[in-house]
Amino acid sequence: MSIARFSPFELLLLKSRSQVDTAKLLLLAWVLAHRQQVSEGQRRRRLAQVSVHFRHGHELAPVMHIAQQRDLQAIQLAAEVLRRECSKEHGLGVMHQAIVVATDTGELSLANHYILRFLADLLGISPGTLNTLFQELTGRALTTPEDPSRDAYWRVHDADYYAEQAREAEAARQRAQEAQEKAEASQRQREEAERARAQAEREKAHHRQQRERSRHQERGSHRQNSQQGTSSTPPDRTTRALAVLGLMPGASKLEVRKAYRRMAQLHHPDRFYTESEHRIALASARFQRIKSAYDYLMHTYQ
Amino acid sequence: MRDLYQRLGVSPQANDEELKQAVARCPNSALRQDAEAVFGVATHRESYHQSLEALNDIGQLRARLGLTHGAHWQGDVANDFSRPPDQAVSRHDELVDRVSHAVTLYNRLRGRRGLWLLIAAFGIGTGIGIVVGFALSRTFAA
Repeated sequence: MSIARFSPFELLLLKSRSQVDTAKLLLLAWVLAHRQQVSEGQRRRRLAQVSVHFRHGHELAPVMHIAQQRDLQAIQLAAEVLRRECSKEHGLGVMHQAIVVATDTGELSLANHYILRFLADLLGISPGTLNTLFQELTGRALTTPEDPSRDAYWRVHDADYYAEQAREAEAARQRAQEAQEKAEASQRQREEAERARAQAEREKAHHRQQRERSRHQERGSHRQNSQQGTSSTPPDRTTRALAVLGLMPGASKLEVRKAYRRMAQLHHPDRFYTESEHRIALASARFQRIKSAYDYLMHTYQ
Repeated sequence: MRDLYQRLGVSPQANDEELKQAVARCPNSALRQDAEAVFGVATHRESYHQSLEALNDIGQLRARLGLTHGAHWQGDVANDFSRPPDQAVSRHDELVDRVSHAVTLYNRLRGRRGLWLLIAAFGIGTGIGIVVGFALSRTFAA
């Protein structure tokens, strides 16, 4: 058994001529306390208007005070009394009053969305009935409550903040762009210097490459296979000599001799006797290389 | 509506710095964006906090009245604000108990009125006797 004192609402309830009406009064005051943009006096007057036909027989001010303090125990007691005493039809009447009090002339506040639904559950009113009742009383459908825990809600309700944010982001972006342009300009200067240097180098390399290529062409089309060997690792002299003869590394002495015969016939300067001096000179250079390669191979293969 | 404090794992009394850290730590990018929108601005947070308190109250009431599975209590709200029933005591029953207890006490008091009067008279008499005796012994000693 508790030894706590009687709370103000319990005393009110005990003194009341009709407990149900006192309970209803507290719940309506609770709904009123969660209305937005309503002054204290307006709330009091509204409560007095609603409770004209109530038979409670006590002052309204203490009830209003309890509701504004959000005294959960008192509200729980009122809810229990209401649930115990109210029939189905009576419950609809209470719901009707609660909707009127929660919405007249204004929007339903978020808290009242949930309070009305709580009362509907308490009085055993189904969602369908609540929706029709709400529609009849206010001319609007009962929407699902908005969700202030989401970004989308604030985009609608505080557009200024987002506009401000967008402006700031834009400014930041512009600043970043300017910085980047500056950086790019300096980068470009550096690159140009770099490019000039690279150009000079490339030209040098180009000359070297051309020389290389002309030498390459002299080796003729007979040694496609040799390219694999030359590309991967720097070949030793034997491999290079074999490549000159158009052979793979590891060719036998017989193959070397055959290849030499064929190459010598192909590239002998006497073949080009009827052609220009230049061709003869190129052919003799090629023949020289073939011959020296053959000599070297014959020397090592012994 | 969701309980962002609960989802971020911070207490509703956390200061701005703690909140900011908790938001930055949040691995879910959608939730982080929402939390930034709500907690980034003081007015947003205040308004959110008011709705949160109202919903906490309603969640508590529903738990105590056994309405946590009502037809009107579903989705995010029901997930985040349904509290475990802390005290299943019916306030009305408690009130009735208390009233009956008060009534018994009152009746007992009324029924033994003569006894109480006797005890009171006896007490007063003894008190006066002690005081007088004390005063007399003082005067004789002097």
